[in-house]
Amino acid sequence: MGVVILLVMAAGVAAMLTRRLPTAFALVILAVVIAFLAGAPLTGENSVLDTVIQEGAPALAATMIAILLGSWLGKLLDETGIAGTLVRKIVEFGGDRPVVVALGVLAVSTLVGTVTGSAPAAMLAGIIGIPAMIAVGIPKVTAAGTILMGIAAGMPFELPIWQFFSTALELPVDTVRGFMMKLFPFALAAAILFVLIETRRRGVEHAWSLKSASAKPASRRKQLGDAPWYALLTPLVPLILALGFDIAILPSMLAGVLYALVTTTRPGEMSKRLLRTLYGGFEIAAAPIVLFIAIGILLAAVKLPGAVEALEPLIKAVSPQNPVLFVVVFTLLVPLCLYRGPLNVYGLGAGIAGVLIAAGIYPAVAVLGIATSYNQVFGVSDPTSTQTVWSAQYAGVTPQQVMLRTLPYVWAVALGGFCVTAATYL
Amino acid sequence: MTATLLDRPTLAAIEALEAADDVEFGLRLLANTPTNESRDPALLRQWARTADEFGAALAHVAPTARVVESGDGLERGLLARYTSRPVPTVELFTDTLALAEELIDRLGWRHWYPAGSVREAAIAHEAVHEQLHHGPAKAALKRSLGHVVLRAGRHRLYGHVAGADEIAAHAYARTVCGLGRSPLLLTAALATAADPQQGSPHGRKK
Repeated sequence: MGVVILLVMAAGVAAMLTRRLPTAFALVILAVVIAFLAGAPLTGENSVLDTVIQEGAPALAATMIAILLGSWLGKLLDETGIAGTLVRKIVEFGGDRPVVVALGVLAVSTLVGTVTGSAPAAMLAGIIGIPAMIAVGIPKVTAAGTILMGIAAGMPFELPIWQFFSTALELPVDTVRGFMMKLFPFALAAAILFVLIETRRRGVEHAWSLKSASAKPASRRKQLGDAPWYALLTPLVPLILALGFDIAILPSMLAGVLYALVTTTRPGEMSKRLLRTLYGGFEIAAAPIVLFIAIGILLAAVKLPGAVEALEPLIKAVSPQNPVLFVVVFTLLVPLCLYRGPLNVYGLGAGIAGVLIAAGIYPAVAVLGIATSYNQVFGVSDPTSTQTVWSAQYAGVTPQQVMLRTLPYVWAVALGGFCVTAATYL
Repeated sequence: MTATLLDRPTLAAIEALEAADDVEFGLRLLANTPTNESRDPALLRQWARTADEFGAALAHVAPTARVVESGDGLERGLLARYTSRPVPTVELFTDTLALAEELIDRLGWRHWYPAGSVREAAIAHEAVHEQLHHGPAKAALKRSLGHVVLRAGRHRLYGHVAGADEIAAHAYARTVCGLGRSPLLLTAALATAADPQQGSPHGRKK
């Protein structure tokens, strides 16, 4: 039966790869089929309807709320001009040295990446950051890659991600945070090296563009002035509270929302802006929330006793236990998290992680190491991930160009993550 | 795309561009450059004028970058491009240059842009980028624009104005190539004629 379940999983991956089905729908269908194959009854204990769908769908509820709060805060950073001001100041201070501008935009992207993820994070930093970098001579692929590498460097501090891995892998938030702190230096070093090496390798680029003298209509952004300097500290507020004061994730993020609001908004306009940005946050968070509902359902399915029993011998046979082999095998498998592949953490990879833990093949914290390391690759280089597609297209290049340019760097980050995992938890 | 195929409204729109002065086109360039969106148009006009004067006064330097030609400029919305690596190179987009020459004839602008001058202007324009990239001229441009971002007693830190180097490059090209009007006017005319319908803001269809 295990082989049949794996074949069904492969079919699910094929459906996602060929885009016959949206990832979330494919995951739910996979979950239901796996549950039936594992011999789960329709209703009752360990059943398809009650366990997989009813209990699975809200299993990652805390993550969904954190995603929503992150999106809300992101919307506020945009609407209040905080993100734009950060980029403008960087260009003003370092514009005659492109590498300084790129490093500055990288820092902004990292800050933004701690607050929210996916395409909204890329937009927050990139809408002004990408053209600003191009305007000072940074080549387009490097500009798009800088935004993505920056967001990925902030990802180990992204509180919704802590919440996701904590809930999905049933680990305390402290444990997740502990591993993320170990992953962060690799992500940061790779991001800085990307900027330094790529700006040196590719130099600067200036184009005589036909659109430079066009009289295009004024954008909404014309209305945004500079945010006050103390408002620029907003992205740090949730981090300081969660890291420095051990305050839980959701209240920390709410504090960030309130700080952004009171530092940028007149009292009479506060409730209106809060509501408007909250509703805007719902729009941004809709896609990831749907995905997290589906992942919760899939996790519930692969953790059914019948599924664990069927998959355990197969997965155990191919999972390396030797630390060196562990690092080598999982490093070589990195490309499988691209193009919505089977190791994509926000797809079937979550199910595989669930199997690895439920079958007791690796300790949960080692699975955390594997999943977060792959997440660093997926978050930057996957040409189907929304942030990569958006950044590449906005810069005027293809996602595949960005993937090729960034992959060596994030592959090294994953290698670092696997080494830490093997050395610490195996 | 050829200039002879332009319809009457497009031609009228291009001819209407003549009424705007060169500084106006500089202002538009600055206003379209990210980080300048919220700035006062009067300030942008002042910066455009200063950058134009700075570029026009730049000492003539012989271009040292190698020159290569490509043919997909209209699709990419580009006339020329300077890249500093692996070796300083000016890439000229021949289809855009051909359209420019054709358009000049069609509009009767030959007295402003003599035959072959667009190619020369493109090389001169990119030579300024090379000069600003490698030499001390960039700091001089910043000082002349006078955008102070930090003051400490007598000391002032001048900020970078994104897009000002482009205006300076166009002004330099106008001066050394003996053009009657800024290449920015021609750029605006080409943009109206070519209307490359770019899906993304930086040159690739979505």
